[in-house]
Amino acid sequence: MPREHLLKIGVSGVRGVVGEFLTPSLTLSFAQAFGTYVGGGRVVVGRDTRTSGPMLQHAVHCGLLAAGCDVVDVGVLPTPTMQIYVEHIRARGGIGLTASHNPPEYNALKLFNAEGQFFNHYERNELLDLYHQRDFSQAQNAAIGHVRRDDGTAKSIHIGRVLAKVDADRIKRRKFKVALDAVNGAGSVMTPEFLTDSLGCRLDAIAIDPTKVFPRIAEPRPDTLGDLTALVQKSGADVGFAQDPDADRLAIADETGHVVDNDDVLALAVLRALAVVPGDVVVNLTTSAAIDDIAKTFHRRVYRTPVGEANVVDTMRAVRAAIGGEGSAGGVIFPAVQLCRDSYIAMAFLLDLMAETGQTVSQLVASLPAYTRKSGKVPFAHGRLGGLMQALEEGFPEAEADRSDGLKLIWPDRWLHVRASNTEPLLRLAVEARDGERALALYDTAWKLLTSL
Amino acid sequence: MRGDSGLRISPVGLRGIVGRGLTATHFLDFAAAFGTYIERGRPVVVGRDPRSSGRMAREGVVSALMACGHEVIDLGVVSTPVVQHALQRLDAAGGIAISASHNAAEWNALRFLGANGTYLPTAESNELLDIYHLRKFRFVEWDSIGTLREDATAIERYIDDLEQVFDFAALRGMRVVVDCCNGTSAPTLRRIVDRFGLDLILINERVEGDAFAHEPTTSARMVELQLGPLIQPLQARAGFLFDIDSDRVAMADDRGRGVSEEMMLPLLADHLMTHMPGRIAITNLSSSALLEEVAAKHGGRVVRVPVGRQAAMDALAAYRPEQIAVAGEGTGAVMMPQFRFIYDGIASMLAVMTMMRERGQTVREILASYPRYEILKGEIPLESPRVPALLMDLQDDYPDARVDRSDGLRVSWPDRWFHVRVSQTEPILRVICEQRGEAPSALFESLMDKVRSYS
Repeated sequence: MPREHLLKIGVSGVRGVVGEFLTPSLTLSFAQAFGTYVGGGRVVVGRDTRTSGPMLQHAVHCGLLAAGCDVVDVGVLPTPTMQIYVEHIRARGGIGLTASHNPPEYNALKLFNAEGQFFNHYERNELLDLYHQRDFSQAQNAAIGHVRRDDGTAKSIHIGRVLAKVDADRIKRRKFKVALDAVNGAGSVMTPEFLTDSLGCRLDAIAIDPTKVFPRIAEPRPDTLGDLTALVQKSGADVGFAQDPDADRLAIADETGHVVDNDDVLALAVLRALAVVPGDVVVNLTTSAAIDDIAKTFHRRVYRTPVGEANVVDTMRAVRAAIGGEGSAGGVIFPAVQLCRDSYIAMAFLLDLMAETGQTVSQLVASLPAYTRKSGKVPFAHGRLGGLMQALEEGFPEAEADRSDGLKLIWPDRWLHVRASNTEPLLRLAVEARDGERALALYDTAWKLLTSL
Repeated sequence: MRGDSGLRISPVGLRGIVGRGLTATHFLDFAAAFGTYIERGRPVVVGRDPRSSGRMAREGVVSALMACGHEVIDLGVVSTPVVQHALQRLDAAGGIAISASHNAAEWNALRFLGANGTYLPTAESNELLDIYHLRKFRFVEWDSIGTLREDATAIERYIDDLEQVFDFAALRGMRVVVDCCNGTSAPTLRRIVDRFGLDLILINERVEGDAFAHEPTTSARMVELQLGPLIQPLQARAGFLFDIDSDRVAMADDRGRGVSEEMMLPLLADHLMTHMPGRIAITNLSSSALLEEVAAKHGGRVVRVPVGRQAAMDALAAYRPEQIAVAGEGTGAVMMPQFRFIYDGIASMLAVMTMMRERGQTVREILASYPRYEILKGEIPLESPRVPALLMDLQDDYPDARVDRSDGLRVSWPDRWFHVRVSQTEPILRVICEQRGEAPSALFESLMDKVRSYS
C-alpha cells in the first residue's frame, strides 16, 4: 500500500489534497488557532493561483475574524512579497495559501510571524498544540473585525527592496533579452513588470495568466522546463527564468536553453550576495560544497542545517547570515530583502552578475568550483530505516559522520547524504565529489548497499 | 444551565450567541451540510443582516458552498425577504440567509431556503440536520470548486416585485413613521421613498453591526415605546417598527398606541380576504380566534396547525397557492400569496397602508369595528417528565370542549379557548387563554394553578 501523505498537519502548518482531505473546516480551525496565537490585530492573507485558493481563503478569513482579528486581503501575490508586506504594515502575522511547488490538487497554509518570517521551532510547536487543544479565542459580535482589500502596495515595496541591493542602472543598460515561465502562478501578477519596468529587460514570457491552471509540473526542475528551453532557443534569450506557483523558487536556463543545476543557481547568488553585504552563509546538508569554496574566498563561514526552509531560516536568524538557501530546492534566501526564499532577488543577482562581468550565464556557471553531483530515491520498508543508516556508516568507517538529518558522510573531496523524505516513503540519496568518476562510484556503492539489505 | 450558551441546532436551522455557544465552525459545517444536501448545477444565494458577526459567518458559508462545488451569489447586507425573492430570479437551487432576525445583536443564525424561496419543509430540514450530524460533506475535488460573484441589484429587483402588487402612487400622501432599528429595512425603505415619493419618516436608519438602538423586538410594547411620542406631533397616520431582517413588523396607531401583535394577522386577513373571498387562512393553535370571525365574514375558513415555522411550511405545502389567502402567527409574522408565502414585514406594512387607503380609515378605526377579544398569557418553568400527565389531566377537566392534541393541548369552546404547550425556544410551558368579550380571568387562573401543581 502506498503511504501517500494526502493530509499533513505538522509544525510547518497544514498541507494536503483539497476536497476530502484538506477541508474548509480544518482550514478554518487552523486559521482560528493562528488568530488566537497572534492575539488579534491585523493579519495579512494572500494566495497563489490554485483553483482552491479563493475557497480556502474565505475559510481562513472566517477563522481569523472569529478569533477577533482584522484581515488584510492581498489576493494573489508571490509568497516573499506577502512576507515583506506583513512586516512593512506591522501586521501581527500572515497566512499564505500555497502548496508551493506541489501539484494543483494540493494546497497548504504557510504561517508568518509579525516580521513576515517563519515562526521558530518552539513557536510552531506551541501553535500546533493550540490547534489540537481547540481552545480558541471566540470573538463576540461587537469584537468581530473587518476584511480589507489591498491590491497595490505590496509589489512595489518588494521590488524596491530588491532594487536597493543591485545596480539596476547597469542591468537596464544591457537591455537583456529574458525568457520567463511563471507557471500561471503568483509570479504572473508581478514578474513581467519587475523584469521590464524595473530592470529594463526585453521579455518573452509564457504561462503568465493567473486565471489558468499550471501548464507544467509545478516544481521548476530540468525535466519539467522543456517549454522554457524551447522559448530561450526560439527567442535567442540571454537567460530563461522559471518560477514555482508561489514564486519563491527559481530555476534558470542559460543562453543555450540548458537548465542550470539548482546548486549552481544558489552558488551564483552567494557569490553576488557576499560581495554586497557582510555575513556568513547557511545552507542545508545536501547543498554543494561549492558554497564552502566560495565562502572561503570571502573569508566567511558556512553553517549546515537539516533539510527544510524553516531549518535554514532558523539558523540564518540565529547567526545573522548574509545569505542562505537550499541548493536542490532552488531557493535563495537573502535577509537584506527578507528572510525567506525569494525568486526576485535571485533573478536580480544573476542579471547583476551578468551586467558586471559581461559574461553569459554558461560562462558564469563554468567559472564556479566544479563538482559532480548525483541524486536518486530508494524505496524502503517501514522499520528498516535505522538499519540502513547503520550499515552505511559501518560501510564507510573512514568518513566523518553527521547525524543531524539522516546520515551525511564527509570526506575531504566528496560527501554522501541519505535521508528519509518528509512526504513520501523514500530515501533520498545524494553524493558529490570533485572527481566525476569518484562521485559515480560512490553513488553506486551506496545504492548497492541500501538496496541489498 | 440550559440555554446558557445560546446554541440551538434544530430543523429550523442554527441559532445562538456568537462566540459563546455559536462558533465559526458551526456556521461553516452547517453550510457544508446544506451544500451537500442541495443539487449542484444551479447557484446558491447568500445574504446577511448587518450584524458584525455576519461578516465572519458569511466567509465560512461562502467557503463551504464553494467547497461543495456551488456557484455562490452574494447579495451582501439585505433582508431575509430580499434573499427569498432573489432565489427565483437567479434560478437558484437554494439560499442561506445569515440573520438572527428579532434577536439581540449578540445573536446570529443560519436560515436555509429552498429553490422557491420558502424555508425547507420538515422532511427536508430533518435530512439536512442528519447530514450535519454525520459530517460526511461532499467536498469536490480541486478542479470542480465553485466560484463567487456578487449581485448588488437585489434590493432594486425586490422593490420591482413589490411594485407589481402595491399601488405606490396611491400611498404617496400617507405619512407614517418607521423605526428601522438599524436593520436591513432602512436601505429598502429609503429607496422606496426615493423611487415612489412615499412620505415615510425613518428613524434609526443607519445600518449598524455592533449594537442596535434598542432590542429589535416587534412587540406592541416596543413600538409604543419607540414611536408613541412621535406619531401625533408628526401628524403621522401610523407607526411601524421592523426587526433587523425586516421579516416582522409591529404597528402603532395614529394616536401612538401600540397595536397588539396578535392583531396583525386578523387585520391582514380581513384585507386580503376582501380581495380573495372564500380562501383559507393558515395559522397556529395559539393565535387569536378573531381570525375565525374575520374569515367567516368573507366566506373563508381557518386551518390551525402546531406552533412553529416548520408546521406552517408543511401546511402551506398541503394546499394549492390559489386556495390560500394568508398565513401567519400571533407574533405579527404574516405571509401573503402574492409574495410566494414568505414572512415579509415591508409587504405587511404596505398591505396595512393599502387597507387604510381603501377604507379611508385608520388602523384604530378598523380595529374598533372588530368584536372584542381578550387574551391572557402565562409561562411556568418546564418539568418535562410530568408534561404528558399534566396534559391528560387538563383534558379530563374539560370533557365538554373540542380538543386538539397536535401541539400540547388546545381546548376550545365557541367563545373561548386555551392552549398549553412546551416552548420550542425556552425551557418553559406556555399557557394562553382567550375569550370573546371579557378577559377569561377565572379560567386562566385555574389553568395556571393546575400547571403550577405539576412543577
